[in-house]
Amino acid sequence: MNRERFDAWLRNIYETQDVEISCTECFDLVSHFVELEASGENAAAKMPQLKQHLDQCRACRDEYETLRDLARFENEGGAPSIDDLRSSIR
Amino acid sequence: MTLMSNARTNEEWLVDLRASGESQDAAIADLRGLLLRAALYFFSRNLGDFGGLNRDEILQRAEDCAQDALIALMNHLEDFRGDSKFTTWAYKFAINIALMTARQERWKGVSLDELSISNEGAFFEWTLQDKSDGIAPDRSALQNEVRETVQDVIEHDLTDKQRRVLIMMVFNEVPMDEVVRHLGVNRNAIYKMLHDARRKLKSGLQARGFEVGETLALFSSQG
Repeated sequence: MNRERFDAWLRNIYETQDVEISCTECFDLVSHFVELEASGENAAAKMPQLKQHLDQCRACRDEYETLRDLARFENEGGAPSIDDLRSSIR
Repeated sequence: MTLMSNARTNEEWLVDLRASGESQDAAIADLRGLLLRAALYFFSRNLGDFGGLNRDEILQRAEDCAQDALIALMNHLEDFRGDSKFTTWAYKFAINIALMTARQERWKGVSLDELSISNEGAFFEWTLQDKSDGIAPDRSALQNEVRETVQDVIEHDLTDKQRRVLIMMVFNEVPMDEVVRHLGVNRNAIYKMLHDARRKLKSGLQARGFEVGETLALFSSQG
């Protein structure tokens, strides 16, 4: 573990809360969170427990980041087509 | 007539998916396309996980993810509360399965038993590795105290399971879903073990007088 990772992990340790939501709760709530973000609202302020979980959980964060991209395409256009995506895999 | 997938309202998605005949078939076909796009998008950003597969195999994995996601979603249709677009809600089923598939492919054949053992050699090596030049000696001494405290809590205050999960995920960067598979539990159980470990580490540090601001400042701003 290098210094940057240790620093980030130490931050996670100090940001630990007595009660944190589970990955299942995160899965249930994350689409609403993404929707709030997409409509320009301060999703982190409205759903602090979800934001906290995303900061702590790499798997849920990876899923959230992909969902955020796809929702953005949906709202703003520019979604890659299935054929484009197939061609990008080689 | 087949509507464009994004032309349906949330209500229309639900009505069509619960219908029978042509309108249901059309809705399912459109939904499957959305799920496939989500899986392909995830895969296209995580191609490094698929080093052992050729293109056709990767594309087939994406088709399988879309199919599995479709089944999972249809089983959870009643859970949709309408607090997001239906498509946003739907995507997450495909992303979840795509992530598990990708990580499983990357970690295929790796023995997690070896990566879960409290390898003291590796731990000390990490401590030594991180000793760096050019840091004021008192600061360096404090940093070492923090690391020793963390190490002490890991070795003495965590349960065996908490320690194994922590070593796998934090020190060896094993993904959550591989640990899930290895231990035969679910994500929630793994998250809880890490959460409990973090709570013990936090109180261990605070009990030794390492409060948040000054401790983080000890390690940050070093570039």
